[in-house]
Amino acid sequence: MKTKILLFLVSSLLISTNIFAGGFQLNEHGAKALALGGAFTAVANDPSAIYWNGAGLSQLSGTNIMIGTSLIAPQSTFRGVAPAITEYNAKNLIFFPTHFFASHAFNEQWSVGLGFTTPFGLGTEWDPDWVGKNLAVKTTLMTFIVTPIVTYTPIKSLSLSAGFVYSFANVEMTSKSEISTLFAEEAYADLSGDDGSAYGFNAGIMFKPTDYLTFGASYHSEVKYDFKGTAVTSGPAQFASQLPNGDISADLTTPQNIAVGVAVDVTDRLKVSADYQFVGWSCYNSLNVDFANPAYTDIVSPRNYKDSYIVRLGAGYRFNEQVSFMGGIYFDKMPVSTKYLSPSLPEADRLGFSFGVEGRLFDNLTITGSYLFIRAQQLTVTDSDEIYMDPGAMFNGTYNSSANIFSLGFVYSF
Amino acid sequence: MKIKLIVSIFLTALIFISCDDFTDLTPPVQNQVSGNANFARYVALGNSITAGYQSGTLYESAQVYSYANLIAQQVGTNFEMPLISDPGLGGRMEIQSLSPFSIYTNPASGSPLNLNYPAPYNNLGVPGALTYDILFAKSSTTCASYVFANSPNPYFDLILRNNALNLGTPLEQALAQAPTFITLWIGNNDVLGYATSGGTSPAAPTPTADFQQLFGGISQGLSQYAAQSHAGIVVANIPNVTAIPFFTTVGLQIAMNTSIPWSSLPLGFVYQKAGETGIGSGYATQQELLTGKVLVTLLGSTYATLLGQPTGKFYRDKHLALPVGIDTTKPFGFHPQNPFPNAYVLDPGEITISNNAVASYNTIIAGLAQTFGFGLVDINTKFNQFRAADFTTGTVINGIVFKTLYVTGGLFSLDGVHPTNQAHAIVANEFIKVINSKFGATIPLIDVASIPGSLILHKQVKFENGYPIIPAEAFDHLLF
Repeated sequence: MKTKILLFLVSSLLISTNIFAGGFQLNEHGAKALALGGAFTAVANDPSAIYWNGAGLSQLSGTNIMIGTSLIAPQSTFRGVAPAITEYNAKNLIFFPTHFFASHAFNEQWSVGLGFTTPFGLGTEWDPDWVGKNLAVKTTLMTFIVTPIVTYTPIKSLSLSAGFVYSFANVEMTSKSEISTLFAEEAYADLSGDDGSAYGFNAGIMFKPTDYLTFGASYHSEVKYDFKGTAVTSGPAQFASQLPNGDISADLTTPQNIAVGVAVDVTDRLKVSADYQFVGWSCYNSLNVDFANPAYTDIVSPRNYKDSYIVRLGAGYRFNEQVSFMGGIYFDKMPVSTKYLSPSLPEADRLGFSFGVEGRLFDNLTITGSYLFIRAQQLTVTDSDEIYMDPGAMFNGTYNSSANIFSLGFVYSF
Repeated sequence: MKIKLIVSIFLTALIFISCDDFTDLTPPVQNQVSGNANFARYVALGNSITAGYQSGTLYESAQVYSYANLIAQQVGTNFEMPLISDPGLGGRMEIQSLSPFSIYTNPASGSPLNLNYPAPYNNLGVPGALTYDILFAKSSTTCASYVFANSPNPYFDLILRNNALNLGTPLEQALAQAPTFITLWIGNNDVLGYATSGGTSPAAPTPTADFQQLFGGISQGLSQYAAQSHAGIVVANIPNVTAIPFFTTVGLQIAMNTSIPWSSLPLGFVYQKAGETGIGSGYATQQELLTGKVLVTLLGSTYATLLGQPTGKFYRDKHLALPVGIDTTKPFGFHPQNPFPNAYVLDPGEITISNNAVASYNTIIAGLAQTFGFGLVDINTKFNQFRAADFTTGTVINGIVFKTLYVTGGLFSLDGVHPTNQAHAIVANEFIKVINSKFGATIPLIDVASIPGSLILHKQVKFENGYPIIPAEAFDHLLF
């Protein structure tokens, strides 16, 4: 009986911990890049190049400061558990990932930049009594990056960049946990942790063989986090001795990204761009959470993510000296099979549609606003491996999610 | 100026686009699931099971999982119930400790939540109701328990509310609602009262002829109503009562108690047979207890711990004078002069009487269902399938293993008689299967795993300012 109960609990923790799961990359760093559907690797002509492709800084002169934010409003619903078709709505949360970039060109050859972004993060919250409460109730992950870069332009048509990444992050996940199907009471687990120092690097290249054609490529390394934190569990007194708690540690690696892009100036006013972005989610094949207290069984959970990709297309039209219009579209491939899909992160193939406008208010101030709508393909899971109620009820059902994202950015040049 | 214009166009476009709700591209359609059945107004007639009574009382968090309410939810119809806030009207059984297993009786009580609903409830299941009561009970003092045993059942006042509604018996209140669909599950108490009292009170189940009259009367009434209203009617039969944990738990524990010196007991387990109040003439071997030839009820579990001791605790607890021939210096339960009390034992004769009653009731129910064209839910067969699988792997439903065992089996609440939430879902699915096949309906079955467990764990000892808070009744059974 005792082992069985512990097994119940640990297995539900296993599930809840996959909030570390993939697809939590945030690419919302710059209203202009967003307006172009993120096809910005070969464009990279504002300070957000520090994120998209550092080599793009070669296109900027003097000192530039960019500050911006996005308002991300995701919506998710789950229908199930199959064959039931009851609809559950995730809480409508709003996030404001903010970015800051500064660049300075010393001369035609050397530039430096400093960026602050939140490249990975997620937040989902479901009703504490919803059908998937043992899988996920509230999940938040935030990673922050400070990255200084240097850009070198040896010849006019070629620029190179390299940057160092310093990152800190925090994570919290809560879920309920069924002690056994017998009892009305349930346990509640809250695992939280942070990592104050993780490191990585990035690099970029931009090649402009002719006036109207630009190629770009960028690389972002993996960042390995070692979260340290606490598990707090509460539950009925009868099971107090079996609820794992205390210090925990967990490793998480965010994936490497390789983006290659091309931009073509079709006319003086019209520039189109395309990107292919490789996302190395296969780094995330298992999630382990270690309890400091040896009395509790450590969690080892296979996640089996696969490498994934994003294809992006964008177009910008310069209406006059002050105003440009932009539009874009992208396809983001789901990095995990439906077997491992969890409501903490409703994954799916995603389509993004965006447009934006850039206005130069004064000679040295540019404002960009953009809107991005992300539609996740409706996904019906029939082969779930996620147990939502012991000892073998699988979390099959239909996910629908979408997001509205508004971005606003200011670039000040001097 | 130009920029202003562009910005305003941009913002207008944003508002326009973001107003569209894209969250649900293909909402499924759930109407038309009921086929030829009409669930515009569904009424459930029955006893405590229909009411959603669990662990010794009636309380909201169990009532909402009654099979009747689960059926109503699956077809999407409004279903009014006589809800009582947790923990019910007092005496709810909760688990105090798992090892050793002990039960705590929650002395707190809730209050009625839906008392002012201005019409009869859709759920007319009344705890304690006999078949007689569906036809005749209008209040706590016109129900069978009062008429035949002088014991008023307040649930009739609480649920029928005839002081305010004045609409009569459960059957009358059901029909007064002009229902389009009716389920009826009654008859369990016609034998349970006899069996749970160890065959003492009442001294016999409702006679078969009476049951035929009563169930026949109800069926006739329902049938006449259905003829003019085209309402759908489904009835359920009665599961084998002597196979529920209330009867199957304690005897098994006694048989498996290794501290009992079975080989040196001349008579084995000694109890009072039917009708006996003094010296006991019933003897059961370890084997007979193990195989359920003699059953000891859950109420006897307190006294099972005293087996072999020279004790008269039973007579003290019940404030009974020592009957003639009883000698409490003899080993309790092992000696004819200090036998295990009649009220806690079903001897082989009593088991036969109970089982025969269930069998003949079920024959009557099946016959009447056929005569009047009612759907028939064969709960008894379903229950026997569970029972048969107890000794192998159990019955797996939506990933959960169910057995008919007490507590660990998952089917019965702590009183050992009434179904758990999940067992109610299983029952509701049996009703739905019958409705689907009889009425060409496609009502989806309930995912049993989505129904929460219902055994309540009580955290008895709390500390406040360093002192334990101990409920007063915790000392009720303490002897000084």
